[in-house]
Amino acid sequence: MSDSSMTNNSFEPRIVAFFCNWCTYTAADLAGTSRMTYAPNARVVRLMCSGRLDPQFVLAALREGADGVLIGGCHPGDCHYQEGNYKALRRYKLLKMLLRKMGIDDKRVRLEWISASEGDRVQAVMNEIVEDIRKLGPLHLESWKYQGNLAAAQELSDAIKGVAYV
Amino acid sequence: MAMIKITIDGHPIEVEEGSYVLDAAKKLGIEIPTLCHYPHMVPYAACRICSVEARDGKGWTKIVTSCNYPAWDGLEISTDTPRVLNARRMNLEMLLSRCAPIPVLQKLARQLGIEKPRWGLGEDTCILCGMCVRVCDEVVGAHALEFSERGIFRKVATPFEEESGDCILCGACAKVCPTGHIVMEDIEQREIIHDEITLGPNAAISIPTRQAVPNVPVINTEYCIHFNTGGCKVCSMVCPKDCINYEDTEQYEDIKVGTIILATGFNAFDPSPLKQYGYGRYSNIITAEEFEMMNNASGPTGGKILLANNKEPHAVGIIHCVGSRDTNAHPYCSRVCCMYSLKLAHLIKERTEAEVYNFYIDMRTPGKGYEEFYERLSNEKVHFVRGRVAEVTDWAMTPEEEDRLVIRVEDTLIGMVRRIPVDMVVLSIGLEPHKDAEEVRRLFNISCSSDGWFLERHPKLGPVSTFTDGIFIAGACQGPKDIPDTVAQAGAAAAEAMVLVDKGVVELEPNTAYLTEEFCSGCKTCIPLCPFSALSFNVEKKISAINEALCKGCGTCVAACPSGALQQNLFDDEQIYEEIKGVLNYV
Amino acid sequence: MNAERISSPRDLDELRKRIINQRQENKTIITICAGTGCLACGCEPVASAFKTALQQSGLDKEVEVRTTGCHGFCERGPLVVIQPQGIFYQRTKPSDVKMIVERTIKKGELVDRLLYRDPQTNEVIVHEKDIPFYKRQMRLVFGKNGFMDPTSINDYIALGGYQALARALTAMQPEEIIDEVKKSGLRGRGGGGFPTGKKWASCRKAQGSPKYVICNADEGDPGAFMDRSLLEGNPHSVIEGMVIGAYAIGSNDGYVYVRNEYPLAVKNLSIAIKAAREHGLLGKDILGTGFGFDIEVSRGGGAFVCGESTALMASLEGRTGEPRAKYIHTVDAGLWNKPSNLNNVETWANVPLIIERGADWYAGIGTASSKGTKVFALTGKVNNTGLVEVPMGITLREILYGIGGGVPGNKKFKAVQTGGPSGGTLIVEREWQLDQKKAPQYKSIPKDEEAMSLIDLPVDFEELTRVGSMMGSGGMIVMDEDSCMVDVAKYFLNFLQEESCGKCLPCREGIRIMLKILTRISEGAGKTEDIALLEEMSRAIADTSLCDLGRSAPNPIMSTIRYFRSEYQAHIIDKRCPAGVCKELVSHAIDNNCNGCHACFKPCPTDAIIGTIRQLHTIDQDKCIQCGACYQICKFDAIRRVKRGEGGEIQRKAQEVWKPKTKTQPAAMA
Repeated sequence: MSDSSMTNNSFEPRIVAFFCNWCTYTAADLAGTSRMTYAPNARVVRLMCSGRLDPQFVLAALREGADGVLIGGCHPGDCHYQEGNYKALRRYKLLKMLLRKMGIDDKRVRLEWISASEGDRVQAVMNEIVEDIRKLGPLHLESWKYQGNLAAAQELSDAIKGVAYV
Repeated sequence: MAMIKITIDGHPIEVEEGSYVLDAAKKLGIEIPTLCHYPHMVPYAACRICSVEARDGKGWTKIVTSCNYPAWDGLEISTDTPRVLNARRMNLEMLLSRCAPIPVLQKLARQLGIEKPRWGLGEDTCILCGMCVRVCDEVVGAHALEFSERGIFRKVATPFEEESGDCILCGACAKVCPTGHIVMEDIEQREIIHDEITLGPNAAISIPTRQAVPNVPVINTEYCIHFNTGGCKVCSMVCPKDCINYEDTEQYEDIKVGTIILATGFNAFDPSPLKQYGYGRYSNIITAEEFEMMNNASGPTGGKILLANNKEPHAVGIIHCVGSRDTNAHPYCSRVCCMYSLKLAHLIKERTEAEVYNFYIDMRTPGKGYEEFYERLSNEKVHFVRGRVAEVTDWAMTPEEEDRLVIRVEDTLIGMVRRIPVDMVVLSIGLEPHKDAEEVRRLFNISCSSDGWFLERHPKLGPVSTFTDGIFIAGACQGPKDIPDTVAQAGAAAAEAMVLVDKGVVELEPNTAYLTEEFCSGCKTCIPLCPFSALSFNVEKKISAINEALCKGCGTCVAACPSGALQQNLFDDEQIYEEIKGVLNYV
Repeated sequence: MNAERISSPRDLDELRKRIINQRQENKTIITICAGTGCLACGCEPVASAFKTALQQSGLDKEVEVRTTGCHGFCERGPLVVIQPQGIFYQRTKPSDVKMIVERTIKKGELVDRLLYRDPQTNEVIVHEKDIPFYKRQMRLVFGKNGFMDPTSINDYIALGGYQALARALTAMQPEEIIDEVKKSGLRGRGGGGFPTGKKWASCRKAQGSPKYVICNADEGDPGAFMDRSLLEGNPHSVIEGMVIGAYAIGSNDGYVYVRNEYPLAVKNLSIAIKAAREHGLLGKDILGTGFGFDIEVSRGGGAFVCGESTALMASLEGRTGEPRAKYIHTVDAGLWNKPSNLNNVETWANVPLIIERGADWYAGIGTASSKGTKVFALTGKVNNTGLVEVPMGITLREILYGIGGGVPGNKKFKAVQTGGPSGGTLIVEREWQLDQKKAPQYKSIPKDEEAMSLIDLPVDFEELTRVGSMMGSGGMIVMDEDSCMVDVAKYFLNFLQEESCGKCLPCREGIRIMLKILTRISEGAGKTEDIALLEEMSRAIADTSLCDLGRSAPNPIMSTIRYFRSEYQAHIIDKRCPAGVCKELVSHAIDNNCNGCHACFKPCPTDAIIGTIRQLHTIDQDKCIQCGACYQICKFDAIRRVKRGEGGEIQRKAQEVWKPKTKTQPAAMA
């Protein structure tokens, strides 16, 4: 069952953003001190590294009512902890497969590499994702009848975690 | 070798057995004249001028050459008996009959009291002392010179009297030649190639810069004779402390440090890609750096400002913002160029009669006394043209532009396009990060800004620290700045680094991971994930173990742990879930 | 006989016995001198003519033709001596051979024409040993020269060769050998006269290894050919001496440095070395004693200075032949900076004699300071030129008259030059002296104080040095009244200027300047202070020169000034050359002794002789270039060599008084 694509221009997406502390979070900070304006729809959860991101967090966010999730990490090779962002990338790829299987539009979850000086990028990405999600419409995951599938999805998610380090 | 006693002119002296009498006499302060003797070379004893009388005190006497006569116990030497002096005089007179009145011979003649040599004077400037041959043979090791022919036809020559391919152009023969018979000849009349100017003499051994640390000489293996031929080594012969080590090579050392300050500086912008300025195409278009090299008093022109054809320029144009404030190069302002361009203008005005034109966009003169300096230059009749230079060309359109460089510029203050003929163009090049700044910053795990300068922790409040604890940055590597600012920043970085060093302890990150042992199944999923090797497997307990000192707190292992046995301080799964809930509940 | 290795002294003895047994005792051997001198006179055609003639007569098995080394009497070559009688035929031509074979070989009769006739007594002498030239010599070193083929080691062994070596290696210790040589009093024959035993002892004592033994065969003195003849005629004696010396010193490597201009010497030496090696007398394990020594022959590059020991060693090493200071002796640091013992060819050849016959025997010959014999190359204005070996202490008179046979022609002895360019000229007669009674124009020239004849001077190292000359390598050039001493000095200085290596200032510049002064003097531009100047220069040059070439360069000048000062002064003050040699100072003129024989007409290169047969001839003074050809040829003593410009006067006077020498008037000849 696909989600309802109600195009509603007054719909304000709710987006949770998981930002890594060193790069993306700082970039967002920079965007702020540079007085860049962007859509306020995202709520930032700070992680030390994008590698901390458990795919369950994404699912949890969607379950709790987010319409989209933005994951922000350092550019490949620039991870403050060397390789964390690579692991995040792998998990992200598998997660996207999972979401598709679940029938969630995978455009709702987005991974972006933003480095500490790219405040303008934060602004750009934020605006973009808000518009994208706005077009996709609200997710209302809690109203889905396929609760059972969600549990299966959670099991699958655990399995993904085991594969993630390969 | 044993020490023995000899007497010279009645003065006793103790010397090593077998050492030469000439050296012993020198120690006593007795001067014996020589013509073919040179320190650090084997004595040749060809000129016989150093002859002295040797006696054994029992009636035996002989005239010997002091430069190579080995001392023995009981030897008596007289350096000024009539027999010796007559022999010396006779030899010198005989030499003068063949040689021209060269200073070294005239001086010796005066010393020996010869006023009018009996056989007149000759014309030869070579006294056949052999020093050139010996230095090339023994010291330099190039073996390019040798005596040829025999007897009265003896002369110094290269093989077959042709230009020798073995000669390494070291000039040692010219240096030791006492008469000036051998000279170094400049066989090309060179034009000044501005970008090949280097500062100071290209000595084979010299202290590289005045501020070098350590402040000791270094051998330039490209010019050193020893590294070219295996010979010489005169430096090690004269060094009183025996410090010269020819086998020294670059070595990599591992030094354990607690903090690091990066002060790697900047790279000067190469204006070649900016074709409109003609750098590299026309001569006499030089960068400010090349200008400074030429201007330096220890450079090849002695500090004179000269064109490639060795003449002085009548007009000089200084173009600001080359490589800075330019979307085709770097968008930022390099901060220092306006001030140094004004300095160059001032120098040119001081040293030459040339007209000076400064082509600027904005005159950036912050800093103490800077604006006043700019004023002063206006009073010195430096022409300031506000406008970007469109191109520098040699295509003349009027007679006064013939054979000169023409700067085409829009003078925005008068609203006209001007063509200004000049003889020399100086490009005020900007500052840019080093080509390898990326590699360097990866090595130290710090970030770069979009321009490539190293990223400070906070643009306002953390100018010298970086996101990586313990690594500090100072100077132009962080962004273009001039000397006073660099010095200030350097002090700051040093102070901050010292704080860490002083403390002696390091605060660990609080957000390390921790293991709840009961939950751990020993699946070993986490262990290979840690880039810092903080996770290991405890074989006895059959569970993982964390080294908290190594853990940097990235949380990668936490995200991977299937059972949730690993958690991260301050970033527990529970906490994050609550956070997610929290941010989404906030409508 | 095939080469068989001799592995013990007994083997050597047996080999000798075998060789002698295989040879017929009293077999007729025709020895033909094949030294370079006789080769040049044409001894090879003579030898082959003998071989052919004997073959034709069927006597080639009974009679042996043996070409030997130099016999010494070079004036009379080609020499043929028939052994065992010792019949001496001189100036033999191939056309004489048949007669010799027919008469002497077959019938035992003599060919009178070829026998030696003493020019002073007119006596014919048949046997070699009776000829005064040989009788008065003491041929020890050259003893075997006339009897052996230098390319045959068997000849040498048969004559007793290598016995000394056998004794030295097996019955003597090295120190004993050195003591024996010391006791014998042998001194270096190359010119220095340094006690050989002392040199060997120093080299033995010296620190360093390996040690080298070197033979100096550079023989550069003009007119000296003793070493050449020794190497050509009996190279084995030198080899034997070197092996003994090497054993005594403790060396295993030897070199013979031969000058490049001696191809026959090199050839014969190389053959000898090869033969010695094959016989186990050279190389590894000599005579089975375990001692090894080998010799390498090295050729010079044509420089007189390479006869100097340090220059020689430099040349051996492959460097330029320039001497170095000898403050450190070559016995301590020589070839490749190792202890090296260098001796002359003749010195080495003396060694086997000493070891064989004993030091006492050797010391019994010669004078108190100079023992043994010396080989001299007697050349110049003397009747019997050649190589003479005489005991030390023999007088010059004995050599010049007794052996040399006096001056040829009606001339008088004037001087003898010994020691080559490093030696000096000694006055041997007084009669040539500027006779101030006869020639009043010489009154202004003071008499020579030192000009006492040295004809009775005993020849040894000390005596020769005492009188201002030196023994040198043994060259002895005899001069008569037609030799100008200034010219002689000039000749030697010119030689030295060419041969100087040029390294040190006094030799290079000094010889050049002294030669200029002498040339000026010989051309009539001499100044009164020149003699004093030459003496002053000589002192400085002798004091400060690097090597003996320079140090002894002033010797020719100093000795000629010492004994012939008046001759110098004649050149300087009177602008006259008494001997008539210096071209600018001489005029040739014909006086009234001329009998018109016309013999001088052809030799004159500039056609300056004017005259018809049986008439008084005259020399055109403008055309004459003073070459002296007419002087050499005139048998009637009619050519006068007078002071430049006086020739015309003499010829005018002759014109006035000349009468034809025959009674009848000459027929008018065209």
